Amino acid sequence: MLFYALSRASFNRNLQYRASHLLHNVASAMFGFIYLSIWTGIGETKDLGIYGLSGLVSYVALNQCLLWVTSFTSNGLGIPQLVRTGAIATELVRPVHLFYQLMCREWGQIAYQAMYKSLPIYIVYLFAVPLRLPALSAAAASAAAVVCAAYLSICVQYLIGAAALWTTESSWFQWLNYAFSTLLSGFLIPIEWLPGWMGRISRWSFYPSLSYIPSRIYLGYDGIAAICPSLIWCVVLTLVCLAVTGFMRRKVEVQGG
Amino acid sequence: MNRAEWSRFATMYRLLIRSSFRSRMQYSFNFWVGIAASAMINAVEFALLAVVLNRFGTIQGWSIAESGYLYAVLTLSKALYRSFASDVHHLEKYLVSGDLDGLLLRPAPVLLILMAQNFSPRFGEMLLGVSMLTISLGAIFEGRPGLWTAIPLTAAAIAAGAVLMFGIGLLTASAGFWLTRIEALQVLTEDAARTAAQYPLTIYPGWLQGLLTGLIPVAFINYMPALYIIRGTHGAWTLGLSVGVAAAMLLLSLQMWKFGLSRYQSTGS
Repeated sequence: MLFYALSRASFNRNLQYRASHLLHNVASAMFGFIYLSIWTGIGETKDLGIYGLSGLVSYVALNQCLLWVTSFTSNGLGIPQLVRTGAIATELVRPVHLFYQLMCREWGQIAYQAMYKSLPIYIVYLFAVPLRLPALSAAAASAAAVVCAAYLSICVQYLIGAAALWTTESSWFQWLNYAFSTLLSGFLIPIEWLPGWMGRISRWSFYPSLSYIPSRIYLGYDGIAAICPSLIWCVVLTLVCLAVTGFMRRKVEVQGG
Repeated sequence: MNRAEWSRFATMYRLLIRSSFRSRMQYSFNFWVGIAASAMINAVEFALLAVVLNRFGTIQGWSIAESGYLYAVLTLSKALYRSFASDVHHLEKYLVSGDLDGLLLRPAPVLLILMAQNFSPRFGEMLLGVSMLTISLGAIFEGRPGLWTAIPLTAAAIAAGAVLMFGIGLLTASAGFWLTRIEALQVLTEDAARTAAQYPLTIYPGWLQGLLTGLIPVAFINYMPALYIIRGTHGAWTLGLSVGVAAAMLLLSLQMWKFGLSRYQSTGS
């Protein structure tokens, strides 16, 4: 019930800004066209392996749609602002676990972004790119992979936000995460094409769960079993988030408003 | 404006920059980490392109060195623009909070004050840009003459590119006098357009090429000058045209700024 109430409130708050977000969608779709053009330029003369030009174009287009669900979550889930204003102290003494309540709110935000950002861009790409439609089973499996990706993103943002309790520079972790995500998630280039060491780092991280795994499943290159690393990372990061919350509750220093 | 006025504004700008820099240095750790982080983000952006080019060799005939040149010119132009006109890009926060009212009361042009607010020299991006430019030019002109001509021409292209980016940024900011919220518009005219300019223009479909040369003319920051300076496929007119487009954009944006400022109404919040 609490989950529904918090996520619905967050969803409804975002509804107020639908018109402004429409312009964001135009910009986001344009970013996608830029990335698609790179592969179109390369694919005209080079062999793109199992993907082929149409497969790779669909892969990149889908990743661009999914960004709003799997990567563009709220910075630090709003924790840095709570620390700055001192409101974090109140949030920590509420009879609901901090991670749970912030996660509930974020799911509302993600649901809004899925409906009003990812979906419109997806529909545009279906006709303009064209982005491939998946088989029914692949669609269900990739939807599950997307849910895992969104959850992982929430966990990562929670940890970045939690860092604000110990440093005023938590936004640098945000930048670091952005940099790693750009390179290692397979967002623009499938991870098997990354240079050796970079590919190895990517495979041992959770980043492929954000883009590479959901898109490969959607396009039918992998089956449902490919979701296993995502599930393992969900469990690991949940445990880390819970442990970090324990540390947060021991001693709280705020920045004085 | 006469020469005396220009000189007075230049002195005022230097003073404002100096005091802004002193205030930023009160949080020196934050300042330096910020510089390093923005350089890292730029390096990662290029690394992504380099990974693709490393695997596939060229993109529509543009080698990794030539793409590096495009990226370096763009990075240096942006670094100059954002160093010397930092808060033009952040006009929205002044409009939303009503802080612009306070700037209007000061005995100096609002644009000049805004350009000097929160002075943040992009040393990291400059270092990255110069390093990439050195490597790219070295590779492009290896075993062929023209390097010593290319260097000053590239410097001119970077300066014109910075002016053009400033013009586009100021024109977008001016829209804030009517729209107040301009962040989404900036994502489109500054961020998306700049990302597009990182790659050779020919990879884009016709409508997008038209957009990037006509409506948001970022192709004149790096691609057009590069056709003459490093590729030699077009004449010097491409560089001249780039300078002309930058000057025209600057004049247009200054007029729009002036007009917008005369229509400014405080949000009162």
